[in-house]
Amino acid sequence: MKLSRSVSVIGAGMTRFHHRIHIDKTSRELFVEATLDAAESVDNGFELGDVEALFVGNFSSDAFEHQAHTAPLMADWLGLRPRAATRIEDACASSGIAINMGVLAIASGLYDVVMVGGVEKMRNLTTEEVTDTLAMASDDIYEAATGLTFPGLYALMATAHFAKYGSNWEQLAAIAIKNHRNGALNPKAHFQSEIMDNAKRLGERRGVTFENEMEFLESNLNPVIAYPLRLYDCCPISDGAAVVILAASEVAKKFTDTPVPIVSIGQASDALSLHDRDDLTTLYATRMAADQAYQMAGITPDDIDVADVHDCFTIAEILATEDLGFFPKGEGGRAAEEGRTALDGDKPINPDGGLKAKGHPVGATGAAMAYEMFKQLRGEAGDHQVEGVRFGLAHNVGGSGASVAVQIFRR
Amino acid sequence: MSEREFSVKSFHDFISEGKIMGVKCKSCGTTSLPPRPICPKCGARNLEWAELAGEGTIQAYTVINVPLTHMKDKSPYAVGIIKLDDGPSISCPIIDGSDQNLTVGARVRAEFVQEGERTTLHFKRN
Repeated sequence: MKLSRSVSVIGAGMTRFHHRIHIDKTSRELFVEATLDAAESVDNGFELGDVEALFVGNFSSDAFEHQAHTAPLMADWLGLRPRAATRIEDACASSGIAINMGVLAIASGLYDVVMVGGVEKMRNLTTEEVTDTLAMASDDIYEAATGLTFPGLYALMATAHFAKYGSNWEQLAAIAIKNHRNGALNPKAHFQSEIMDNAKRLGERRGVTFENEMEFLESNLNPVIAYPLRLYDCCPISDGAAVVILAASEVAKKFTDTPVPIVSIGQASDALSLHDRDDLTTLYATRMAADQAYQMAGITPDDIDVADVHDCFTIAEILATEDLGFFPKGEGGRAAEEGRTALDGDKPINPDGGLKAKGHPVGATGAAMAYEMFKQLRGEAGDHQVEGVRFGLAHNVGGSGASVAVQIFRR
Repeated sequence: MSEREFSVKSFHDFISEGKIMGVKCKSCGTTSLPPRPICPKCGARNLEWAELAGEGTIQAYTVINVPLTHMKDKSPYAVGIIKLDDGPSISCPIIDGSDQNLTVGARVRAEFVQEGERTTLHFKRN
């Protein structure tokens, strides 16, 4: 299968993801800020009036802000009335899937220029209320009713993966250490400090000295959230927005000399309940969506030079790097431990810090991944730039894997 | 029994009667849980009730320290995915489970726990 018309990213913008700095903002202001950043990134200038349709990924402003019907709200605040505005809700994959819908809208021939963004303002609620709200993305009757939280669901995958492949918590820790290291180089990231810096700072406060990261991560300053996952295995609760501007490749040249083509997309679904899947150690929807994208692009996993994968929990990065075909099943954790997924490794993963350090305002994450790919493929990623990038892949997961969107970008 | 709909309500009604009722597809033979009107395996609607024995194996487990609000007074609590000997799997609380005494592959059996008006399905280590 092929897209009937080539689509490129011509601009991308995002707010910083953070738990505190946006406290006085609502999602509409965050979306405007990300949009203006995106418009400014278009080399030859961009008028918001050039946008023909808007797709907004948003998980639950309904619960977080008591605000539904968010797409026309964003369009209105951007001065885009009366253009078509559509909200896409697929939990944490909302804006990744919104990008696919934006690509299809252009490929269909209906529009030439489409804006796709995502936003989530989570910090209005307490951690407990956020935990309850996120659990709405699982099966309310057959999962959440048993007490399963999202950390709990991914913890189930972790114990199953440990038992099947002999992987272990130290491998999860290696992913947290690597992603914090990358986040420290990304000015848009929620956490911009290495774990060792946190260990020193928090240790000093309590009069404890940690010799290395592992000593800190094994201490009670890194409490268990859902065994075997500890605090540093979980992404933070963040506020933020991200926006990309898509254009038909034949008109993209008008806006920039270096558009970034989206050469392929993939999308798949799976059982909402984790317990209904045949294998708890693989996200089948990731494999399906990735296979579609590789086939449409005519490339293999080996051709991918950099990838943003959905590491809402450290175990999720292991599953993703295996299910996307970067490493054999059971080898994802070892690859991280060996440094193969670091910025200077042979398969750099989450150079922006991933959800773990960059943050995860759930509805904004897929668009923020596309933002990162736009920067990486244009060589504009600054201190966390991966060298010699030709193909980049973004992988956005909803819930415990019931919806997945993949895009492949080319320089 | 056969007149009940393949629905969420029926599942809960059966649990309060101390039964785990799934559905068996007469087309492909798959037993699935919870009951639903279309076979999740083959899409057929040719289904019949099947009572499941309530014996199974832990496929995955966790112990949750940061709970959902409705479980706050039980925290920490263990939840597992139990693969029933009859085929399907289900997520359930595991009574007295901890990271010290749970393992993937351990045998468990169903317990019907009365909580006020409600009966809920739990599992317990053999």
